[in-house]
Amino acid sequence: MHAALLIAAKDLRQRVRDRSAIVVAVIAPFALAAIFGMLIRDGGTEFTAHYAIIDDDGGPIAAAFIDGPMAALADPETGVAEIVDVASEAEAREQVDAGELDAVILIPAGFSDAVLAGGGAKLAIIGNTDSTLGTEVARAVSSAFMDELAAIRLSVAAVLEAQGRTPDPAYAAELAERAQQSATPVTLAGTLADSRQMGATTFYAASMAIFFLFFTAQFGALSLLGERRGGTLPRLVAAPIPPWAIVAGKALGSFVLAAVAMAVLVASSTVLLGATWGDPLAVATLVLGAVVAAMGITALITTLSRTEEQAGNLNSIAAVSLAILGGAFFPLGRGPDILQQVSLLTPHAWFLRGISDLGPAGTGIGTVLLPIAALFVIGLGTGAIGLARAGRLVVAR
Amino acid sequence: MTMPASGASPVLEARDLQKRFGDRVAVDGVGFTIAPGETYGLLGPNGAGKTTTISMICGILARDGGTVSVAGQPVDVGTPAAKATIGYVPQDLAIYPDLTARENLSFFARLYGLKRTDAKARIDDVLEVVGLADRAGDRTDQYSGGMKRRLNIAIGLLHRPQLLVLDEPTVGVDPQSRNAILESVEALGREGMAILYTTHYMEEAERLCHRVGIIDTGKIRAEGTRRELVAMVGQRDKVKLSATGDLGAAAQTLAREPGVADATANENGLELIVDDARGLLPRLLQAAADAGLTVSTVEVVEPDLEAVFLHLTGRALRD
Ligand SMILES: Nc1ncnc2c1ncn2[C@@H]1O[C@H](COP(=O)(O)OP(=O)(O)OP(=O)(O)O)[C@@H](O)[C@H]1O
Ligand SMILES: [Mg+2]
Repeated sequence: MHAALLIAAKDLRQRVRDRSAIVVAVIAPFALAAIFGMLIRDGGTEFTAHYAIIDDDGGPIAAAFIDGPMAALADPETGVAEIVDVASEAEAREQVDAGELDAVILIPAGFSDAVLAGGGAKLAIIGNTDSTLGTEVARAVSSAFMDELAAIRLSVAAVLEAQGRTPDPAYAAELAERAQQSATPVTLAGTLADSRQMGATTFYAASMAIFFLFFTAQFGALSLLGERRGGTLPRLVAAPIPPWAIVAGKALGSFVLAAVAMAVLVASSTVLLGATWGDPLAVATLVLGAVVAAMGITALITTLSRTEEQAGNLNSIAAVSLAILGGAFFPLGRGPDILQQVSLLTPHAWFLRGISDLGPAGTGIGTVLLPIAALFVIGLGTGAIGLARAGRLVVAR
Repeated sequence: MTMPASGASPVLEARDLQKRFGDRVAVDGVGFTIAPGETYGLLGPNGAGKTTTISMICGILARDGGTVSVAGQPVDVGTPAAKATIGYVPQDLAIYPDLTARENLSFFARLYGLKRTDAKARIDDVLEVVGLADRAGDRTDQYSGGMKRRLNIAIGLLHRPQLLVLDEPTVGVDPQSRNAILESVEALGREGMAILYTTHYMEEAERLCHRVGIIDTGKIRAEGTRRELVAMVGQRDKVKLSATGDLGAAAQTLAREPGVADATANENGLELIVDDARGLLPRLLQAAADAGLTVSTVEVVEPDLEAVFLHLTGRALRD
């Protein structure tokens, strides 16, 4: 172990002396995250939908919908939408066509009565075709409200019936009140809007961090090829240390550099760029998983290569392709389904999904166990082969 | 060159070493021993199997057969403790160009298990030995080729090994550095270190080594002191005297001197074939003077390992 520490310390000293390593590990990802974050923020990747509501009904159930889920959706603190006042349905439709509104929700006349009578009630959504997410949220909230309503209506009716009372105004009031309090539609909307959509700053901090991580994490395995080319490997093997200590030292050096670089990036993007990574323990574990995955993949590629140059090129190709596939350069939410499936083979997708799932306040490590597990499986699987090959490289010469 | 004490148990015992790379047999049955204080030379042309042999002795390369023990401990790839008895100076420079000489030395000293304070003292010592003390703080990529070679050797000396293994340590070095290196090796030998020295320069083998093994195509073709090797091929020393006087009579007189195999006269003087030119020379000159000759120059031609190699393999040591 002592020997592994000595080798790791020697490697890190060489790395730090080589300024370009620091640029790749910390400065470049931070700078790019800052630039992308600034460029995109004004464009508004932060999701806010604009809705108009046309209430032709005016009844208690319509009011419950407007004051309940729709009001919560438009909450300035936690909401994801703004409710815009419009004079008429015609004007609302115009604004939808002009792209100023994401959707119009039409509450038809007789809506409340239809609900109370037990059927045939419908909310109409007129959506902007360019705003799939906005329309989707409006549709989801409305249909969830309707489902909720159906369930509540049944239970309220059952209670009233048990009490031997016939439907009356009290029934309508109770139904409306309970429907308004129902939280499901809002939660749903929140999940839909937040889950795959983190703030631009955090997204780019995370994506640049994991993109450059692949360049930082490769150095241990690369330096093993370097020691072989430079002639120092036989000298290490001749030293009175077990051969595995050489591989362990290389892995340790890589790990420390990568982990420190990631920690610096998380901290600096939080303090200087305002990124919100989320629960520290969960973020630390995700970062650990990402480091292990990046080390595993680059170690595998490097130990399959013959020269450092070849390994460096292949690692770069892998870093860029995996980043693209994994949605580190542009969010995958917009791509076709097949791309989303393929992306799950990349550590990038899992890491970004993990960080994004941590977005809503109060979500802890329990929420991101799957991404964490995926990262470690990818890392340990590729890393095991990489380690075995590195071991053979040391002994066979 | 004083011979080391014989009878002491050998520092290195290598027996029947075997190594093949695919179809190519690189080393085939090489074995030798080295006594304390003895310098053993492995002399052979490019590709003879010197580095491969050394790599197996130092536990760098897994061998296909044979045994190695150093200071009584078996050596193999996975025997860290035994490796601590060996100082290894690879043929290819094995130093980190982006570290200073002192940082290089310090890293390897710690890797060889020296404590921090001991390491510091030893580093100063070896820097002195190889004459790099005043440049110890420079990055080694700013060193000349000869300085790099000397640092390469210094690293192998740090932990005071019982066996020092030097693989062609003077390749690509200017004559001055080369002489400094040879002097250091001689000094270490005098201190009692057992040294394994490979080279394809026969002058180095002749100057440094008590015994020489001649290796070619993976096999030791002959082994012994220079004199034994030369005797093995039946060659003797030649002494050329430029002289004036009665050359014919002098030749006949000198031919009768003990140790002289043959003496012939030519237009410039005499040519003698003798057993030990250096030892006989005073007596020969005296005899020549007694025979009435005036000797102006003396040239001694000793048969060398080059000739031995040529005799053994039918090829020159260097093409
Ligand atoms: N790693 C290897 N893979 C394949 N063949 C090898 C390897 N190392 C050495 N050889 C072969 O083994 C033979 C002996 O090589 P070795 O390096 O031991 O020679 P050497 O005597 O040290 O030569 P030189 O004076 O050029 O250093 C050569 O034919 C060489 O090509
Ligand atoms: Mg060699």
